[in-house]
Amino acid sequence: MIKLKNVSKIYGKNIKALQDISLEFGEGELIVLKGVSGSGKSTILSLIAGLSKPTMGEVIVDGKKISKLPDHFAASYRRDNIGIVFQKYNLIPELSVEENVLLPLFPLNLPRELMRQKAKRVLEMFSIAHKSSLMVRNLSGGEQQRVAIARANINDPKIILADEPTANLDEKLSCEFIEILRELKSKNRTIVVATHDPLFFELDFVDRVINLEHGKLL
Amino acid sequence: MNKINFYLLEYAYSYILRHKNKNIFIVTVFTLLVALLATLFFVTSSLRYELKERIANQSDIIIQNYKAGMPAAIDVSVLDKLLEIEGVTAGKLEVQGKYYFRPKESTFYLLGVDAFEMQDDPVVAKLLEQYELSDSEMLVSKNVQDIMNQAYYKEYFNFIKPDGSLHKVSIKASFDVGERVELKNLIIMSKDTLREIFGYSADEGSDIALSVANKNELEFISSKIRLLLPNAKVTSKDDLLLEYEKLFDYDSGVFLSLFVIALFTFFIIIYDKANGLSSEEKREIGILKAIGWCVEDVLHAKFYEATLLSFFSFTLGLGIAFVYVFVFKAPLLGAIFTHENMLEIHNFQLNIHIELSYILLIFLLSVPVYIAATLIPSWRVATLDADEVMR
Ligand SMILES: Nc1ncnc2c1ncn2[C@@H]1O[C@H](COP(=O)(O)OP(=O)(O)OP(=O)(O)O)[C@@H](O)[C@H]1O
Ligand SMILES: [Mg+2]
Repeated sequence: MIKLKNVSKIYGKNIKALQDISLEFGEGELIVLKGVSGSGKSTILSLIAGLSKPTMGEVIVDGKKISKLPDHFAASYRRDNIGIVFQKYNLIPELSVEENVLLPLFPLNLPRELMRQKAKRVLEMFSIAHKSSLMVRNLSGGEQQRVAIARANINDPKIILADEPTANLDEKLSCEFIEILRELKSKNRTIVVATHDPLFFELDFVDRVINLEHGKLL
Repeated sequence: MNKINFYLLEYAYSYILRHKNKNIFIVTVFTLLVALLATLFFVTSSLRYELKERIANQSDIIIQNYKAGMPAAIDVSVLDKLLEIEGVTAGKLEVQGKYYFRPKESTFYLLGVDAFEMQDDPVVAKLLEQYELSDSEMLVSKNVQDIMNQAYYKEYFNFIKPDGSLHKVSIKASFDVGERVELKNLIIMSKDTLREIFGYSADEGSDIALSVANKNELEFISSKIRLLLPNAKVTSKDDLLLEYEKLFDYDSGVFLSLFVIALFTFFIIIYDKANGLSSEEKREIGILKAIGWCVEDVLHAKFYEATLLSFFSFTLGLGIAFVYVFVFKAPLLGAIFTHENMLEIHNFQLNIHIELSYILLIFLLSVPVYIAATLIPSWRVATLDADEVMR
């Protein structure tokens, strides 16, 4: 499903974020990327999402060479296949919950009714529907994360990427997030979580924990 | 891109509101610039139109006598000579001129009339049908009457003759000039009375007005007259038109400096925009890309944003100029256009008369420039890798 072939990523002249990484994740797998800060976890997620291109090697998702896609195709690839949950949520605080969740679909110019249904579905799925008309700025951290997850799922993506999803959550909320992951996995989503939160390393439903150090696999 | 995407439009609108302070500044400068330019163009196109209409009512050729470089009385014998010129169909000796009334710092415009002559101006013609003027009477406009009243002249007025003695003329009636603001300081009396006031003899007048059969010959006949009367100033309708055109060279310092300031600020905005986006703005573009927008989608939204803002400012500026010029009749603007020819704006009606080409010019100077200045930096950011948002 997701394949990294001899991938290196070099920033600037010699910041080697990733060095000759080869990985393969199957459909429906939950993978945890583990490593200290700066080890290259986020870089891997960016490459899978097509947000950046590897300096060397290839990223292949569903048989498509993501690392070669021009912008227009990379964008629709992301919209249709990838849902990202960012560490900083990356919501737009001054927009409402519903608008934030629907933001990925704005360029498609779909009928209003369809948009409303789509928003309702994900907001209910992640128990945040009761706040749908509130401005995101006025939500708590845990609620904001639910909005972020809802947005990542608006298009039923096959792949969910989560970067440090529990970094800003307390233990109770972290456990809730793990329950959400379990549910997503039960829907056969492929999930890649980058984290150094030990909570993830012991989970029964994690298929693989991958250890990174200085941009290399351990 | 051919169908309006209302989601992107709403997003653009909320984006403008979210960056309120910055955008209020931009709208202010933008609106001011448009309003300033539009005011100038509204005033000039309206004045130009009005002047042309006024000139149309005037005599074809006017001849004034000059002595030692100064305007002087002209003798009726000249008229006989001029009427012999081929192409000249009619002519008359006119008695008219300005009279400066120092106590109220006003300039009256004195027009001498003869009950037997045809009057060109319909307002004057109608007044003469209504009133029969004796040699010691005059008709004054409402404005002149007010000025005279302020100086305690209610029934009559004392004109000062060139030799310093007084000449008393009683006010027979006052009249309303209606829309003809250019007549607001008009005084009408008999030619003989006016001759007395100006110190002319019975054969003299202030100028001679000629009618010409073929308007294409104006220039030719004018030059003939110049040869015939080397001391005279000969002004044809064409000359007047040319002279009025020259008034619109906008060499006024006040307007120019205002304009330069507004333009300068506008370019600061453009420069600021072209110089790149704030890190917050960049991040937002990164988020949009990360959730599946392509470069084109980002630019689509930015295009709406810039279009909304610039159209709003443009329309607002135009509206302000319209109300300022045509509804309030350009208060405070008199000085700006006053030229050596004393073309005072408030002597004009400022009727709505708009030349669309000027509005188009203002539009092209502002709106597309602003849109481009918004799109280019966004495009630059949007084409970069969006992996920043992961950090
Ligand atoms: N745009 C960039 N320009 C320069 N260096 C970068 C850039 N992005 C990442 N790096 C560097 O690449 C290395 C890997 O970064 P990455 O963000 O993948 O680490 P990480 O494992 O996600 O760390 P963290 O736990 O702090 O998020 C780091 O040394 C980082 O400084
Ligand atoms: Mg990271």
